[in-house]
Amino acid sequence: MRFLAFLLRRIVGIAAVMIGVSVITFAISHVVPADPAVAALGDHATDAQIAAFRAEYHLDRPLPEQYATYVVGIVHGDLGKSIRTRRAVADDLADSFPATLELSFAALAVSLLVGIPAGIWSAIYRGRWPDVIVRIAALAGGSLPVFWLGLIVIGLGYYQLGWFPGGGRLDTFVPPPPTRTGLYVIDSLLAFDIDALRSSLIHLVLPSLTLGYFSTAVIARMTRSSMLEVLGQDYMRTARAKGLAERIVVVRHGLRNALIPTVTIIGLTFGSLLSGAVLTETIFSWPGLGRYATASAISLDFPAVLGVTLLAAIVYPVANLAVDVAYYWLDPRIQRG
Amino acid sequence: MFRSIRHTSIVFAAALLVAAACGPATTPGPSGSAGASPTASAGGAASTLVWYSDVSDLISLDPAVVYEFSGTLLAHNAYETLVKFEGADLATIKPGLAQSWDIKDTGSTFDITFKLKTGQKFASGNPITADDVVYSIQRAINLNKSPAFLFTDIAQLKPESVKASDASTVVVSLPKTASTQGFLSILTFTIGGIVDSKAVKAKESAGDFGSGYLLDHSSGSGPFIIDHWTKNSEVLLKANPNYGGTKPTLSAVLVKHVPESTNQQFALEKGDADIAKNLSPQQIKALQGKPGVTTASGNSLQLVYVGMNATFKPLDNADVREALRTAVDYDGIVNNLLSGNAKKVQDIVPAGLAGYNDATPFQADVTKAKALLAKAGQTSITLELLVSTGPAPGGAQWSDIAAKLKDDWAKIGVTANIKQTAQAELLTTYRAQKGQLVLILWGPDFPDPDANVGPFTDYNAKSIAFRNGFNDATYADKARKAAVITDPTARAAAYKDITDYMLHNGPYVILYQPTAQFGLRSNVKGFVWSPVDWTDFASISK
Repeated sequence: MRFLAFLLRRIVGIAAVMIGVSVITFAISHVVPADPAVAALGDHATDAQIAAFRAEYHLDRPLPEQYATYVVGIVHGDLGKSIRTRRAVADDLADSFPATLELSFAALAVSLLVGIPAGIWSAIYRGRWPDVIVRIAALAGGSLPVFWLGLIVIGLGYYQLGWFPGGGRLDTFVPPPPTRTGLYVIDSLLAFDIDALRSSLIHLVLPSLTLGYFSTAVIARMTRSSMLEVLGQDYMRTARAKGLAERIVVVRHGLRNALIPTVTIIGLTFGSLLSGAVLTETIFSWPGLGRYATASAISLDFPAVLGVTLLAAIVYPVANLAVDVAYYWLDPRIQRG
Repeated sequence: MFRSIRHTSIVFAAALLVAAACGPATTPGPSGSAGASPTASAGGAASTLVWYSDVSDLISLDPAVVYEFSGTLLAHNAYETLVKFEGADLATIKPGLAQSWDIKDTGSTFDITFKLKTGQKFASGNPITADDVVYSIQRAINLNKSPAFLFTDIAQLKPESVKASDASTVVVSLPKTASTQGFLSILTFTIGGIVDSKAVKAKESAGDFGSGYLLDHSSGSGPFIIDHWTKNSEVLLKANPNYGGTKPTLSAVLVKHVPESTNQQFALEKGDADIAKNLSPQQIKALQGKPGVTTASGNSLQLVYVGMNATFKPLDNADVREALRTAVDYDGIVNNLLSGNAKKVQDIVPAGLAGYNDATPFQADVTKAKALLAKAGQTSITLELLVSTGPAPGGAQWSDIAAKLKDDWAKIGVTANIKQTAQAELLTTYRAQKGQLVLILWGPDFPDPDANVGPFTDYNAKSIAFRNGFNDATYADKARKAAVITDPTARAAAYKDITDYMLHNGPYVILYQPTAQFGLRSNVKGFVWSPVDWTDFASISK
């Protein structure tokens, strides 16, 4: 019952965030000193064409009325029509979001698989060379621009060594698996399509390394510091005093407690992966939401920008909600509080 | 329970990634990328041309809708037109689906009678008839999408202007205020693409003239048919077995959306791409001499220019405008900034079109420019130079060209304050006649001098002349008359008069005409870029 109340509170909170985000985005996208109709139709359009376009997108109506029309649309599940692609924004999002989701999951996997062991390793060998290596790598991860990193990764992994493909989600002549989730790895598994599975996995390697480097660094640092804190606790000394093997002391007693703060930032990290995908997607020709958002913003495609923003506004709190729910089960103290 | 699921999923994810990283036979192959599968939907890499470019502008493949660069390239290869230009030659209109055409002055109209070739078929196998031509033109007019103004405004057509007099004869009536030459050049463009009316009518839904279907399918008679379009990723064209012309040697063309030019260059050098479209001049230079790759260039009809708003003092003074034109170092822009990827053109009609005026009297003459300013009673002028973000045609950044202009003008005492904005914002200001100096480009809507001379001279057309406050009724009238002259010699003379005048009196600093640069694999033969932004894939082999 308490859990349901907790869940309900969070969902109401998400709805409030969405309304706020939609108002702010709508306002900002309508005060830029450029006309979306001009952006869409360009240099050559006649005044009559511009006027017709403005009428089609209700740009000739007062701003509050435009907002009301937009909200009514959303309530009916209609996110409007993109100015740039001339398609329903919902369709565009359905096309591009799974690609970003897949890339973000892969990057998150990289961050966890590399970040957590690196953090532990670094904490155990505090002040010695493994720690120094991890800390330098983490510092680099936190400070290298993604665009530069992406070009280096592609230059090395694709151009120089030829181990990985240079971009896209599948090899040139591998047809995509039948769409169920839009995540090619999952879809190709469901369809038992080994070619597509292999191809989609290998295409994920370079972009997920690029996108995941920053969050790997964050997770490694977080794990290191919380591990250091845990390693000095009384119960660790007790566990050692009981004669337990060091490995069991670290993994069973140390890691389990040290991971709690790490779990907290996974939700945040996942959100930042989604938004950080913009540059990675451009470098790796990844047909995802980030690239869609950039192209939409450049062409003042405000229905698309609003759609992307709303989607991001859902994803962030939902990812955090998922973490909170996980927490709720993990840490009994939260259930009480 | 929770923990064990988490462990399992992490182990599973790890296994997948490791498997991917260690997977054998995954090295991208020399042609057609990693592991060209035998189940290849394109029928194998050997006869498939892989074309890398930024196709983010693609919104439709319907010939009555496309007006974007990528859409033009693709639709041109899937549809045939009544008449056409071949290769890079825009001077001679040649037979397409029509074997002949005849222009008759009926007194009240110009009637153009097209005789269709016999035995021509669409990809579906349906015969091509006069009804298809009438349907296609009426369809474009009725749909009224971006390119429709070419028919409705420029050629001044109404749906009833097009009639089939028998199964292989079409008559189009133009009002005498429209240019027959202009109309014929419009017909060479994608909007003139003839669709299979039987097939398209079968796909019509809610009065959309089948545009929902033609958005990502083709129904034409061109050398290729559209196999699929995966949004934001690729478009695959396959050879049309019923094509009536010389059969293409390529079995398929795959257009991949790759926005990053470095990525395009890598893929070209690795052999994954056969042609890369969006390489910078530096990348083109870097490719030269490398094994397995070559470069090609193509003309464009664009002009990069500065509009000088004559409603703004002191730009209302013709001597001030002439001084600004005189001071610019055009050779420096073309040779240094653009590494030669452009042609020095100083008049309002680009090279390649009838009416091109090759006079280039201006080149960084500081003394003369200062004298002109003195004559105008000006010693120091401060103006705002509006410029877009991003790269300009020819390869330099818009801001670099603006900086060069600022330097050149500083030498004659003119201070240009550069204001850089997004293209959309710049256009909003420019269209409202609120710019002072605006650095921008123009490409003609159809390959005819009227597509430049009209907008550049006619204030009432509310295009470029209006935006720069250039209101010269005499020359606007001369431009309108030149457009409808049917005798080529008389037309050329009329345009010579107009362009000579505009060279010194127009409110424009025409800077250059860019060339398009491409990276190619050495085995790609027969590639010719048309100045109207497409290439005939049927003439390419590899």
